[in-house]
Amino acid sequence: MVAHDTGPGAAAVTAESVRRTYHLAEPVHAIDGVSLSLGKGSFTAVMGPSGSGKSTLMNLVGCLDTPDEGRIEVGGHSVGELSDAERARLRGTEIGFVFQTFNLMPRLTAVENVRLPMVFHDGVEADRQERARSLLERVGLGDRLEHEPSELSGGQRQRVALARALANEPTLVLADEPTGNLDTETEAEIMELLVELNEAGATILLVTHERAVAEYADHVVNLLDGEIESLEHLSDARDVTAREQAAGGAGNRRSTGEGEA
Amino acid sequence: MNLRESLRISWRSIRAHKLRSALTTLGVIIGIAAVITFMVLGGGFSEDIVGDIEAEQEPAMTVQTQTTPEDGFGVMLVETPIYTESDVDALEQREGVEYVAPQGSLDVVQAESGGEQLTGVVDAQATTADRFEHATFVDGGPFDGADEAVVNEQAGQAFEGNVSVGDELELTFEDGETTTVTVTGVVESELGEQTPPQVFVPADEHYTTTVETPDGDEERAYPTLQIGAEGLDDVDPVQETAVDYLEEESHAAELKGDDDEIAVQTVEDAIEQFDDLVGQLTVFIGAVAGIALVVGSIGIANIMIVSVTERTREIGIMKAVGATKRDIMQLFLVESVVLGVIGAVVGVAAGLGFGYLGVWLLGWPMVYPLEWVAIAVAVGTGVGVVSGLYPAWRGARVDPIEALRHE
Ligand SMILES: Nc1ncnc2c1ncn2[C@@H]1O[C@H](COP(=O)(O)OP(=O)(O)O)[C@@H](O)[C@H]1O
Ligand SMILES: [Mg+2]
Repeated sequence: MVAHDTGPGAAAVTAESVRRTYHLAEPVHAIDGVSLSLGKGSFTAVMGPSGSGKSTLMNLVGCLDTPDEGRIEVGGHSVGELSDAERARLRGTEIGFVFQTFNLMPRLTAVENVRLPMVFHDGVEADRQERARSLLERVGLGDRLEHEPSELSGGQRQRVALARALANEPTLVLADEPTGNLDTETEAEIMELLVELNEAGATILLVTHERAVAEYADHVVNLLDGEIESLEHLSDARDVTAREQAAGGAGNRRSTGEGEA
Repeated sequence: MNLRESLRISWRSIRAHKLRSALTTLGVIIGIAAVITFMVLGGGFSEDIVGDIEAEQEPAMTVQTQTTPEDGFGVMLVETPIYTESDVDALEQREGVEYVAPQGSLDVVQAESGGEQLTGVVDAQATTADRFEHATFVDGGPFDGADEAVVNEQAGQAFEGNVSVGDELELTFEDGETTTVTVTGVVESELGEQTPPQVFVPADEHYTTTVETPDGDEERAYPTLQIGAEGLDDVDPVQETAVDYLEEESHAAELKGDDDEIAVQTVEDAIEQFDDLVGQLTVFIGAVAGIALVVGSIGIANIMIVSVTERTREIGIMKAVGATKRDIMQLFLVESVVLGVIGAVVGVAAGLGFGYLGVWLLGWPMVYPLEWVAIAVAVGTGVGVVSGLYPAWRGARVDPIEALRHE
């Protein structure tokens, strides 16, 4: 069992001995006894070879999936105990997803894509259009509002996806290989946006298999065959202090962790 | 999710597949267009026939012989002369009966007035003055003597010189004989515009059709009688008495054909009978349209299922950004209802268009079957809901993780 604790106070996400099994010819434990705690405002990267369970972990944390064993808490809610509709609500309000393949709605314009999470969330009726516009401006797409995804480059699409992830002001942003389909330059732009978000207070969980990308994070969880193989704290590897000052807070970055194979 | 947002998203997807959406709604369009077209035609036909019949109550009824055609709807009139003079006399003796006026047509081939000749246009009827007891005269009154006649408005206007009271009419019979009559009155037609030009002359002097009665005598006989009751309250009992007598004791009962039926009808009965006929046609057309609509909804359901499959990934995306099962159901239901309503609206428009063309060609009045338009739109919506339910349910059940892996 591996525990990963990235914050001493309230945690944004906690997992306790989580197991997710796919019953094929023989049972596959995609996630096999993972315990993890992500502090509020932390920035964590998940690394591991293909098939090691990274996406499964993201789906569990993102309330798209429920564990077969163990317990996951997101924003204080035990995901396994929530109804389908409550999990949908949690996805809509607390969580923002960014995918490797962008996953934009093909026939909706950039603005409409960004509006989508607001549309499913009855709470924020007021001025969805205006908010979607300002989010797109924030990711540098103020001049592409009415474009459909097919009219945008890969990097632009991912920025639309990022703006959409932020639509309902989520506290947790989950990015599954967000730069996997992008060139190095665009990759840097997207990562900078994630760092900015993190600095603004969002908890970020990022899946990548590139070391360079993982190094934007403060912590790295290495997965192998559904288990946490090791845990790294990179705070020293980058100029985290400066960012801590920029974020105006201490404590976010503090981390304690223990790992056993 | 509010309705406006779902309409917006559904509309996008309908517009993105214009051809497919159009083909999908075709079944509904054809079904509804068929109903509306036939309702316009049926309404126009009824209006044309019944529209200006004076349904005002009068204590009179018509005796006619009817038969049911072997195939097809409704009834046909039989023109055989079976109501003998004895029948007329016997009916006149019954309680509550004020008069019995026989009527039968004459073989008049030509009518002439003031040097103007009309051939094959004017229909001549032999009857008695009682026939006009409840008729409305535009001018003058019933005939009184052998050489007098009553014309209806149509006959008066058929001549350019506009035949009116006091004018002379020369009638030429099929056998070449002629007779000259003086017009004593112009009468309004109960059956309105559609009535042909008619001249009425006294039966006693002009009617010659006879039959051999069951008693072996030769008697004059008529194809039609009009019975007048003494008052409105007597209409029902008189109708009953007349039916009893005519069916049981009369010469007519023996003279009529095996499949023929003696009908004693007030004007209201006649309208009711006609409405029944239109009603039967309506049910028939409704059934045909119902089949078209079932086919139409299967079409919508089929396309919606394809659409759900095609959009599995989009459903996954929507679920990932917070859509509940209900939201997904709503989206697909709204889409199929929009398709159904579009089908209904286009169908109504097409139906009114074809119907208008039809009544225009046939010279009938245009009738807007408003209740059917409302029914059509309701049915279109219903078809949308019914055919959208299963696909929407399938869409709602899509597993977001599977959907997002879906390429
Ligand atoms: N829907 C599924 N059905 C069966 N097996 C699955 C399914 N999803 C994932 N797996 C299996 O679970 C393991 C982890 O998959 P995944 O989390 O996608 O890995 P990663 O994202 O690290 O490449 C793999 O062995 C994969 O084959
Ligand atoms: Mg993966």
